[in-house]
Amino acid sequence: MHDILEFQRLIREARFRSGLTQRELAERAGTSQPAIASLERGDGNPTIETLARCAAASGFALRMTLEPLPVRDPVVERYKRDVDRTLLRENLRRSVDERLRTLSEWQIAGDALQRATTLARRTAARARSRPS
Amino acid sequence: MMQLEQLLAVLHDASVEFIVAGDVAARAHGSSRMTDDIDISYSRTPENLARLVSALAPLEPYLRGAPKGLPFDWSVATLQAGLNFTLTTTVGAIDLLGEITGGGQYSDLRPHTLTITIFGRDVQLLDLPWLIHVKRAAGRPKDLEVIAELEILQEEIRLESDAAD
Repeated sequence: MHDILEFQRLIREARFRSGLTQRELAERAGTSQPAIASLERGDGNPTIETLARCAAASGFALRMTLEPLPVRDPVVERYKRDVDRTLLRENLRRSVDERLRTLSEWQIAGDALQRATTLARRTAARARSRPS
Repeated sequence: MMQLEQLLAVLHDASVEFIVAGDVAARAHGSSRMTDDIDISYSRTPENLARLVSALAPLEPYLRGAPKGLPFDWSVATLQAGLNFTLTTTVGAIDLLGEITGGGQYSDLRPHTLTITIFGRDVQLLDLPWLIHVKRAAGRPKDLEVIAELEILQEEIRLESDAAD
């Protein structure tokens, strides 16, 4: 029931955005805190009415839309196997500023490397063209 | 080399309406991608074009890849006559995008952004779902690897948020 799980995530997001605790949301929606906790965990199979009530209690309207199913591209799926999750986790632990600073640092290092490689190539070419 | 901090400061301090997209946005979200340029979606209202022109003028924008010495007039009229501009500046390469394939113009993208503080300034960043959407819509083979990484990143963010609850 992937779709219902997505709705349950939305309820949690709505609660976060409205700054409510689970208990406060439960009171507003006429249910219990454990029921909200369970709903947000993705347990059970809540009705649309329950989800809409919880969204409304957080100050949001729950709307359903029709969207074409995402097409799973086999090439993308194959690439996913090679994604290094450790790098992503490392980045997620950094602040946004740090993520962007490391980008600049790598660019500086890359530029220096390019300059050094060009110099080495020219020096080698000069050495080769020198009469022995 | 791109001096991101300086560029964002210049645009922000001139109140330019812009959205950071592309690989820099991906990097800000947590991607491990490297890039040499920044994609900027900009509002094409006359007021914003004027702000953009005056903000970037000191950075000596010039058409990237064009031979030196061509008459290039960095002005509102030039921006009005075109849409997307790939530029070199003194702070690095900038792609100024009046329209992004699959994402539309600034006003179309604006609802899909989040405000994020970068180097002490609030900046609009294209959100992760829309970054993926735009990459998919572009349909370029080179983006497939990026899409794979961004989708895994989205998964990791979700897992992290679940663990934090």
